[in-house]
This record gives sequence, C-alpha cells and structure tokens, in this order.
Amino acid sequence: MSRRIAVLVFPGTNSEEETVRLLRDCGGDAHLVHWSGAALLPSFDAYVLPGGFAYEDRIRAGAIAAHDEMMDHVIAGAELGKLVLGVCNGAQILLEAGLVPGTGPVRHPTAAFTRNGPVAHFVCTHVHVKLSVKPGRSPITAALAPEAVIPAWAANAEGRLAAQENHLAELRNGDHIAFVYAHEKGNVDPTATPNQSALGVAGLVNRSGNVLALMPHPERDAWTFNHPDKRRGDDMLAPSGGAALFRSFVAGVQRS
Amino acid sequence: MSRRAVAIELKIPDNAAYTALVTLRRLGLAVERVERSQIVRYEDAPSPKVLVDRVQGDESLYNPNKHRVTVLDGDVPRTGEVWIVQDDPDMPVAWRLYVAPGTPASTEVLKIACERLLCNPAVERAIFSR
Repeated sequence: MSRRIAVLVFPGTNSEEETVRLLRDCGGDAHLVHWSGAALLPSFDAYVLPGGFAYEDRIRAGAIAAHDEMMDHVIAGAELGKLVLGVCNGAQILLEAGLVPGTGPVRHPTAAFTRNGPVAHFVCTHVHVKLSVKPGRSPITAALAPEAVIPAWAANAEGRLAAQENHLAELRNGDHIAFVYAHEKGNVDPTATPNQSALGVAGLVNRSGNVLALMPHPERDAWTFNHPDKRRGDDMLAPSGGAALFRSFVAGVQRS
Repeated sequence: MSRRAVAIELKIPDNAAYTALVTLRRLGLAVERVERSQIVRYEDAPSPKVLVDRVQGDESLYNPNKHRVTVLDGDVPRTGEVWIVQDDPDMPVAWRLYVAPGTPASTEVLKIACERLLCNPAVERAIFSR
C-alpha cells in the first residue's frame, strides 16, 4: 500500500501547489491538508510543510503555526519516526516548534531562522545548497550523493539562522547541519551565503534524522522552466536539480 | 532632556494582537485581552509634546489613519506589559496582557506568555516591568 504524504496548508501558506506537484512527479502519494482538516493528519505517513507566510508571520515567522492543532499531529508523528520536511516558512515553523534541531524540549526553540543580514531585506535569489552530513544521517537525504549540490531559490526576509553560542556549538557537534550554502561547483565560502546565516546554514536536521528544515526552495528549481540557465529548445518540463531532494524524501517515505 | 519612550499602537483592530490572544488561550493562559505596540526609546527626549510631534512627523513610524501615539511615563514597560527586543534595543515590541477588564497581567503570567509564545530566546530578549 502506498505511503501517503500530507502537504500542510496553514492560513497564509503559498507554496503548496508546486510542492504537491513535485512530490507526485517524484512518485509520492501527496495530498493537501488544510488547517480545518487537522484531524486527518494522523492517518498520513509523512508530512511536508511548504513555504509561505503562515498566519501572516504574526509575532514571529512560524510562531503561531507552531502551536496550531496541525502541529500537534506533526509533533506526535515525528516522535513516532514519521518523516517531516519543512521548506522556507515550513522550516521556520519546525524551528519554532522545537522539532529542529530538537536539542531542547518541544515548542521551546533553541534556534530561529530570523531577519536577514547585513540588511533586514527580503532576499530573492538563486542559490545552491550542499549536503554537509553523510547521506545516511537522515532517511530524507539517504538517496542523495555524498556532498550533493542542489539548486534552489532563496525567497525570504527571515532566513538567517541565529542561536546562542552554546546552541550553535550543539548544532556543529551534534551533526545537525544538513545543508550549507555553496557555490554551483560545491565550494563553500561566505560569499555563497545570501543572508549571513550562522555557520552558512541552509538546512538543519534533528537528532534522529527524521525531521529536516531547509530554508531555500528546491521545489522552485524542480523543472527546467524554473531554472535560470534554461535555453530555447530545452525540455521545459524535464526535472531540474531541485527535484533530487524530493526524490530522496519520497524514497525515504516509501522505505519507512 | 531625559530618557523617554513612546508607544505607537494601531487604532484599527490589531489582528496580530487578537491572534496572540487566541493562541495564548489555547496554551492555557487565562488572558482576557492583548494589546501590542511599537515602542521607540529616546535618549535625549524633549518635552512630551515635542516628542509626539517628532514621532508624528516620521512617516516610517506613524500613519495618522492607523496609529495613535502615547508618551510613557518612563523608559520601562508599563504594568502588565513586556517588551521584546530583537536587534535594536531602542525599538522593542510591547505586549500588554489583561487577565480581566482593566486588570493587567502579573509578571508571572507575562513570563509564562513569553516562554510559551511571545519570545524566542534564541534571538529575542524579554524586558519586564519592575
């Protein structure tokens, strides 16, 4: 029986359509679940939190959604080992919910994706992220090549990882830094990071590896027509590099 | 000249404050009302009248169709209020909680509200009234 993936829609989510479409293109049995249908979530096998502005980012990005009834079910599912992927605003929600990095109690965040630096402006730019843990560290990344470089679009005003020094040390020492910003060929230096994110972090994984939060959007570089290098004559509907992470996620869900 | 602070708040319904109220209640806090304002602290504050004129002349802070300005008695949170500071210590966001009509929340309630919702200690700091 096919494993079912819920794509959560909070009031203000805006990336759900491309997320569902990509999951289905990757072979996943993906369904939208709106906030009014929270009670449906326990019947799903995995969860994806797409990008957007859940609850208009009131108080802080992700702060209200982290306490929504939908997140009660996601937290319970994550504790059972279900796979959870959050992208952009979804990543912010996972950090506010304390699921990622998961170094403190649930709903007591120890880190945040917060206002960009050096200027707190909205960043919209094409980026690459590099897998910085062993692929097998997380079932979500297990089908990626070691040090895989994935194209994505950064589109946020609050994508800079920030945490107290002791918690940053926990991220480093606990193998929580799943993705860092990199150049296209995989070289890593501060110029690859668009927003002064601490340690160049683009994505974090929890201790047990089943919850991954990634700030840039790989699902917006998932088909050739999304890609800045597309040329006349290309197959515009061919998969692009951003699909790799979602293929790996779906493979992980089907194995789970 | 002395340190003063002004509170700039919406005079139209504040959806963020209402959402905070609903969420705090969901988290088990018996809160009756939540108010939110943008605090601006001034080192060299002139008289309250001049200060109000200065704020009302700054289009990045004040829109006469949406906002009202209150000059605070001092440079600290009012009773029942907590200030949340992120990057700029002179521009905290104030959350004022009431547990009953006209009854501001205690510092204890404010601390619980901060811990559960209003303050992310990874990037923010809470300042309570004395």
